[in-house]
Amino acid sequence: MGLSMESNLQGTLFVPALDDGQAAYEWMFRTREVVLQQSTPVRISFLFCKKLSPGAVAFIGGLIRLAESKQISVIVEWDTVIDETVLKFLRHNGFSEFFGGRSHGWDSHCIPYREDRFEDCNSVMDYLTDNWIGRGWLQVSERLKNAIAGKMWEIYTNSFEHGLSPVGVFSCGHHYSNKNELVLTVIDFGVGIAANVKDFLSSDPRSARLSSSACVEWALQRGNTTSNLNVARGLGLDFLRNFVVLNEGSLEIYSNTAHALINKDGVTVKEIESNFSGTLVQIKLQCDERLYSFKNEVNS
Amino acid sequence: MKIYMKDVFGIRCMALADGTKLHDMIIGELKNGNPVTLDFEGVKQFASPFFNLSIGRIMTEISEAAFRKLLFLENLDETGKYVVGQVISNASIYHSNADHKKIVDEILDRQAKDEDES
Repeated sequence: MGLSMESNLQGTLFVPALDDGQAAYEWMFRTREVVLQQSTPVRISFLFCKKLSPGAVAFIGGLIRLAESKQISVIVEWDTVIDETVLKFLRHNGFSEFFGGRSHGWDSHCIPYREDRFEDCNSVMDYLTDNWIGRGWLQVSERLKNAIAGKMWEIYTNSFEHGLSPVGVFSCGHHYSNKNELVLTVIDFGVGIAANVKDFLSSDPRSARLSSSACVEWALQRGNTTSNLNVARGLGLDFLRNFVVLNEGSLEIYSNTAHALINKDGVTVKEIESNFSGTLVQIKLQCDERLYSFKNEVNS
Repeated sequence: MKIYMKDVFGIRCMALADGTKLHDMIIGELKNGNPVTLDFEGVKQFASPFFNLSIGRIMTEISEAAFRKLLFLENLDETGKYVVGQVISNASIYHSNADHKKIVDEILDRQAKDEDES
């Protein structure tokens, strides 16, 4: 099944194979719009789904909560999950427990699906410290793990503070042993970075003409912030950017019609065809100890 | 005044709300010219929002001379020192009255360049 999207679901949303690439995310963003237009209950079918990324899991969970917040009922049809890999993935990362399916313990490579309606630093940091960085995939010192987890918190705090998501923040991750890669995706269903920047600059009527990609590029620069707290801000994304470059990982941001990719080759921000009212941040780290040293982490 | 940070905030100095709490605890002392020592022994995780809302904000409310003379940080580990250093450096160049017209000019310039390249 391809990644086309019908505007009339006729009651059922068929989830295709969804990886963590741009085409898959653009399908999800279009799906968000379609689901929110439905006036009758939506059934989610995984009949044609042979692959799901942690980002797709976080997105689908968040979309269900968003639809529910708008009185649109969503039912996951668990008997349509016929692909064994997909079924195991949804059970092992805890998604099934949230949405009426059966739990199946916990796989050592899954980083659990989670929903955070409100900012709870200790709960998120326990998750990052114990379930994400602290699972032994990366043999680095405790102090270095703390430093890395601290950088991830910057993603969450940005989502809570700027996202204005009516349903909170959703995340899920995975350790891919074949690629030795650690992935975490964090999504809010708020207004998006470009919308925030335009609102911040709304005293200048030209702000309406600003493209999403140019706004995201501006937001990625050190010290730039839309915060109205009247103190210097805007360090979080800069910390993350330097960190992934040093560790040969990547940081991707989808927000409004912008897609930013940050890796060792630099920063690329471009316009995409779909519009996502919200912000999706996907970070990938290489689990190669040679890429980590405390001096480097601190100085990144 | 000496504050044992772990006793008040636990092992994490990260959240915006905690940064505001610290600010409110010490700003009066500093404004009155009294020294304040923050002891970070046992604190293991740090993030910029906490320090932006505490130390960064204090830098806008007292003189740099008073800040350097009265506020002491003890037992910060390397990560904490780095985060505080970045926050102080960022705060020192921050202007509260951001020139929105200038920012829009800057973003439109970038947008025009991007359009030329594509």
